[in-house]
Amino acid sequence: MPKNFQIIPASERVLSLRKKTMSSERYISIGQAKIITRVYKENGDLPVILKRAYSLAAALNEMPLAIDPEELIAGNRTPDIRAGVVFPEAGLAWLEKEIETLPSRPQDPFGIRKEDVILLKDSIAPFWRGKTLEDNIYNAYGNELSSIEKVVKINQKDHAQGHICPDVEVWLRLGPSGLLEIAREKVKIAEGEKRSFYEAVSITLKASCNFINRYSELAVLMAKEEQDPVLRKNLYEISVTCKRLSEGPAANFREALQSVWFLFVILQMESNASSFSPGRMDQYLLQYYKDTDPDTALELIDALFVKFNQIVYMRNAHSARYFAGFPIGFNVTLGGVDSEGNDATNELSYLFLKAQDHIRLPQPNLTARLHKGSPPEFLDECSRVIGLGTGMPQVVNDESIIPSLREAGISQEDAINYALVGCVELSTSGNYLGWSDSAMFNLVKALELAINDGVCMITGNRIGPATGKLENFSAYEDLEESFRRQIDFFTDKMLSACNVVEEFHRRHLPSPFLSSVMNNCLNTGTDITAGGAKYNYSGIQAIQGANIADSLAVLKKLVFQEPIIDKSELMEALRNNFEKKEPLRQFCINRCPKYGNDVEWVDELGAKWIKYFASGLKKARNYRGGPFHMGLYTVSAHVPMGQNVGATPDGRLARTPLADGGMSPMYGRDKNGPTAVLNSVARVPSHLASNGTLLNMKFLPSLFRNETDRSKFTSLLKTFITLPIHHIQFNVVTSEDLRSAKADPDSWKGLTIRVAGYTAYFTELAGDLQDEIILRTTQGENE
Amino acid sequence: MSKISGTVFKIKRFSIHDGPGVRTSVFLKGCPLNCVWCHSPEGIGSDISIWYNKNVCIACGKCVDVCPQGALMLTGEPEKYISIDRRLCTTTGDCVEVCPTSAIQFTGWVTTPSEVICEIEKDIPYFKTSGGGITLTGGEPLYQPDFAFEILSMCRERGIHTAIESSLFCPEEVIRQISDKVDLFIADLKIFDPFVHRQHTGESNLLIKKNLTFLVSSGKKIIVRIPMVKNITDTEENINSILGYAGSLSKNIPVEFIEYNPLAGNNYRRLGIPFPLDNLNKES
Repeated sequence: MPKNFQIIPASERVLSLRKKTMSSERYISIGQAKIITRVYKENGDLPVILKRAYSLAAALNEMPLAIDPEELIAGNRTPDIRAGVVFPEAGLAWLEKEIETLPSRPQDPFGIRKEDVILLKDSIAPFWRGKTLEDNIYNAYGNELSSIEKVVKINQKDHAQGHICPDVEVWLRLGPSGLLEIAREKVKIAEGEKRSFYEAVSITLKASCNFINRYSELAVLMAKEEQDPVLRKNLYEISVTCKRLSEGPAANFREALQSVWFLFVILQMESNASSFSPGRMDQYLLQYYKDTDPDTALELIDALFVKFNQIVYMRNAHSARYFAGFPIGFNVTLGGVDSEGNDATNELSYLFLKAQDHIRLPQPNLTARLHKGSPPEFLDECSRVIGLGTGMPQVVNDESIIPSLREAGISQEDAINYALVGCVELSTSGNYLGWSDSAMFNLVKALELAINDGVCMITGNRIGPATGKLENFSAYEDLEESFRRQIDFFTDKMLSACNVVEEFHRRHLPSPFLSSVMNNCLNTGTDITAGGAKYNYSGIQAIQGANIADSLAVLKKLVFQEPIIDKSELMEALRNNFEKKEPLRQFCINRCPKYGNDVEWVDELGAKWIKYFASGLKKARNYRGGPFHMGLYTVSAHVPMGQNVGATPDGRLARTPLADGGMSPMYGRDKNGPTAVLNSVARVPSHLASNGTLLNMKFLPSLFRNETDRSKFTSLLKTFITLPIHHIQFNVVTSEDLRSAKADPDSWKGLTIRVAGYTAYFTELAGDLQDEIILRTTQGENE
Repeated sequence: MSKISGTVFKIKRFSIHDGPGVRTSVFLKGCPLNCVWCHSPEGIGSDISIWYNKNVCIACGKCVDVCPQGALMLTGEPEKYISIDRRLCTTTGDCVEVCPTSAIQFTGWVTTPSEVICEIEKDIPYFKTSGGGITLTGGEPLYQPDFAFEILSMCRERGIHTAIESSLFCPEEVIRQISDKVDLFIADLKIFDPFVHRQHTGESNLLIKKNLTFLVSSGKKIIVRIPMVKNITDTEENINSILGYAGSLSKNIPVEFIEYNPLAGNNYRRLGIPFPLDNLNKES
């Protein structure tokens, strides 16, 4: 731990940058869309990968730039801060519909300029109609996708792939100019598709050098005009830094941070995707940090933390309600083990935690890797920062994750070097296209179909195979057989649909710049969308183990074993959403144990089906030739997915949210404290969830009020390391405060909350999501 | 197999204010004292009775229908609730059995040391990382000395740290026998003056002081706790007397002040008995 770093306050410069960033007005920006459209029009005959490369190059060469004289790290994809960038190749349908309401929508509004609306509607949108990724997927496969949508949500249909941890180390070591040299050598000997690939890579890298150099030139111009000597000096430093980075690799800490930021800006300019994550920054930056003093380093990190909030991802009105505050998934992973299995924390790990204390904004998403050899002071510092109530860092467990990645087929060397991308998704560093949000499988809906003969309880329509009704099952095993058949039916359809989507990505969104920083694309001449990465996974989320365990427990114990509840009575109650059957519903809730209370037989009921589901994913390979594997997280989809599900035997009402997180117990149903929750969660086969898991826990702030109490929280982290659980994230807040914040949002604007793998401002969330978060059990509450 | 059994009214995991580390607190039922401020009145009596939590009751009336004694009645307007005629109740538990919300529950259950240990063992990993263990509390845990002794012995065999939170109002031989099995005594010293002690708890504190002296002389680790009850235990005179007394026994006894639980009255309402402190507060 650096000496005395604990007392370094955030500098006035950094606080000023923070304030300017968060108070800037947001506008949608169609500048890049205009450029892309022009290039596509002019180059109709070229292969898509070259069109994409020329589009990106044109944007890098032409987009207007801006530098704030105060900023230590420069660069953005638009001159405006936090602009909503329109990216036509992936899909424009929602924007055409919603553009007029963007400024007035309640969630994450964006200002619009009149001339932009006209341009978008008259010349950009018409050109793209029928040509976007989204349009093509729908034309080819739309009916099939809607036939399964109540059970399976297929993602990545209208935007480019993110959730990727690029090879930042190589980017720092070679810089765009060094990578360009490699690509140019390869062009000489390549043929056909590979030749186009290397050409495309070269085009984007050359333009990247120019883009960085343009910042250098702009900074000089601004410096000449600048009156303030401090700011003038800073502008010259930006200029020198950018000049060097445009010509070669990073040589010191400031250059390294600036270089990292440019990488992520350019990745966003190519893809406009959620979650390009910087990964293990405390590891690959250490060699650049050596001679820097901690104060200077911390201010630069603070400045970068502010920058992470300057790129936002504009979503449509519906998803903005659930992903409020533009979570864009700049996930920074700290700590963990090194290649020898020793503790890898260093001074930078602490400085990054301290930066979180200073900046306290939703980005970056901060993750601490813990393991048996994590130093006590690192655990304590994590606890202290968690106690600040910003929901960060989230913690992950090397002891559980590394074996899980090994089991999924990842080499020891790469497994040890894992990082988190986006929210909680697992990835190796720089060589992994995980396609982590390929689809979400609503097991709770499948269970509804399994007891109702494949008929949706909400609409009365048949959507699954006729596998029988609860009324006619004579034993619990009949129910299991029916459930199995529903899962199989939808799994098969899902895997085919995922591969269709992947194929269209290859056709429409090859990504040469991204490929240049992903092993082994450059070596093999294969674009990342075509399977050029060393690892090619596709992640499918199983939703939601808690409701499955709880519902099956009621069916097994109260309906089949004892039996206290009559099958027909229960089915009638479920079909009518427990109307006039409140006592029966309460009986289902209170008279049968629930997941999250350390009751082994209940936990195992859920675990069995999670295992079954995971094994079904082995039936196919993905389009890139890699495996499908499972994740156990919903992010915030448990709310909209719950809207698809009728009343369930666990006493949940129709259309209400499912359990949160992925591993969490149903909100309010865990009554035996945090140790019981962890013991239950440990029974879920997390080792099969190599795509990532998510456990939410909520604690009272009073647990962090002094060092003695905080040490008890830290001891929970220490036990977590000994359990087969991948991930936990913490909210530290009282339910009363959340209720007040919902009622009086103006007084609680700064209250951040961990929703699900990301942090957002509580008062900006949709009401039903707010309610669900309030209902989550708070641990440590006095009785 | 030992035939010992006992009555417990709560087992609380992740208990963080009853000794070092993360603990499981086991609440033993029955107490020889009758402190007017007692915040868990369900722990005073040794017998198991019924308690009723109006807040979660949905007034479905199922309990009324099944009570063989006719002790229950649906009442209240417009908010319906259940009223219990406790003179008629024979604790058959039929109402508990049918209650869908668990608004009606037993105030405790009879169990064996082995069953208690099963519950305790679940959190051994947390005890290990935190330096925690178990705390027997109550009620008065030493009011069931054989049961308590057996639980503590079994914990010792498993290497689990043992604490006991007690008023120390118990026969001297109980303290002598059990002290070997206890790593930490948390002694509730409520009132220093024996007469005032008797006035508010029903008993004098001479025995308590005697037992405390014994524990100090045998070198046991002790924490003294004073519950802060307004105008009764929180007076300057009482606090100073206890501090002086603890100091005179040993220089190494930490004294903690426990804030009074403002929600104590709820538990009395659930049991259908008056809360003595309510009256005291009104008088003062």
